[in-house]
Amino acid sequence: MTSSAQLYLMGCLILTVGLGLDMGPNQNMEFTFMLPTGGTECFYQTATTGDTMEIEYQVIAGSGLDVGFALISPSGQRVVSEFRTSDGIHMVDRTEFGDYRLCFDNSFSKMSEKMVFFKVVINSQDNTSGGQEEWIDFTVTESVADYRIEEIRRTMDSVYRHLEKTRQVQAVLRAFEARDRYLLEDNLWRVSFWSCLNLMVMLGVAVTQTYTLRRLFDNTKRVCT
Amino acid sequence: SAAAGIFLLNIFYSSVSSLYFHIGETEKKCFIEEIPDETMIIGNYRTQLYDKQKEEYMPATQGLGMFVEVKDPDDKVILSRQYGSEGRFTFTSHTPGEHQICLHSNSSKFSLFAGGMLRVHLDIQVGEHANNYAEIAAKDKLTELQLRVRQLVEQVDQIQKEQNYQRYREERFRQTSESTNQRVLWWSIVQTLILVAIGIWQMRHLKSFFEAKKLV
Repeated sequence: MTSSAQLYLMGCLILTVGLGLDMGPNQNMEFTFMLPTGGTECFYQTATTGDTMEIEYQVIAGSGLDVGFALISPSGQRVVSEFRTSDGIHMVDRTEFGDYRLCFDNSFSKMSEKMVFFKVVINSQDNTSGGQEEWIDFTVTESVADYRIEEIRRTMDSVYRHLEKTRQVQAVLRAFEARDRYLLEDNLWRVSFWSCLNLMVMLGVAVTQTYTLRRLFDNTKRVCT
Repeated sequence: SAAAGIFLLNIFYSSVSSLYFHIGETEKKCFIEEIPDETMIIGNYRTQLYDKQKEEYMPATQGLGMFVEVKDPDDKVILSRQYGSEGRFTFTSHTPGEHQICLHSNSSKFSLFAGGMLRVHLDIQVGEHANNYAEIAAKDKLTELQLRVRQLVEQVDQIQKEQNYQRYREERFRQTSESTNQRVLWWSIVQTLILVAIGIWQMRHLKSFFEAKKLV
């Protein structure tokens, strides 16, 4: 095969790898979405036998800060069923083969929509051996002896995994902070609104009291004479 | 050859699932990504339509596409494009905050959906995950360890950016909190003064009223 053809094929491969969805030993997906009033949203995640799946969700905004959550296995069994909780973490230790269904339920709320953050982490049991990344075939071969490389590679893989975990923790903390921030801004608005209302009610009551009293004595005078 | 084998393997990888959901004909699904500035986001999606004859979901026809709209934290549209039944959109954030990614199908042919739903597989990669390491390795001719180090550097970079963003968020949070506190305190004082003033006004007004009516 000529070098230009090889280069072209290489280009195609890179493009394909770029377009392909991530399938490493550890899949991490997180989404934040708006759950409409009185609605239900379901997401599906495919799993193979023997994986571990971790699902974490948190309600970030919306009055009451709660949703119903259900996790349904491919065989139709309700693995988790929660009603009106604000956050939760669930682990499925041995997944079945098929599509797991995650449903967020806001049907009990008639007035407010909820913003929900959730993340799904899948640990594939098949690829726990050091995590061969998909770019391994595109790298140039090392010039130093293999046995020395192996240790360094192990350490770096471990650092990579820890940093991934750091990012996931950061994402969770960010979700907490976002929730508190929405709550606080909501509180601020509520304080302002009710203060104004309070002021108007007070003035209204004072004026009404005074004039009612005056009217009372006007009437009495007329009645007496 | 090995290249062909890898090509086939990658095809297999790309048909592996990520999270999917169902979307109706005119439905619009939005996702929110809170990201620091100068962060790249790549979204990959794949659509499937329910085939009644085969009774399963098959890749969607060419005529069916998705309209992707991305709004930045100031509600300004930074990406508004139509893609095919399978596509990939990229954008880089220039302001930190909540970006909104909305998808809806552009189909005007009702018969295509036929009362069913469109299945959309979606994967959103943020920051360092959006890098194409295969490309970087081939371009800079890196060994595996060098590439790994590059990846770790990017990861730490991303974590640092995220922390800076959090610090900025926390400052705003503190300002809002102090503002709320001030308002509550200020309102309590004003309320007391108003009540006292109203009381005085009422008494004086009624007193003069009764004196005028010769009841006192």
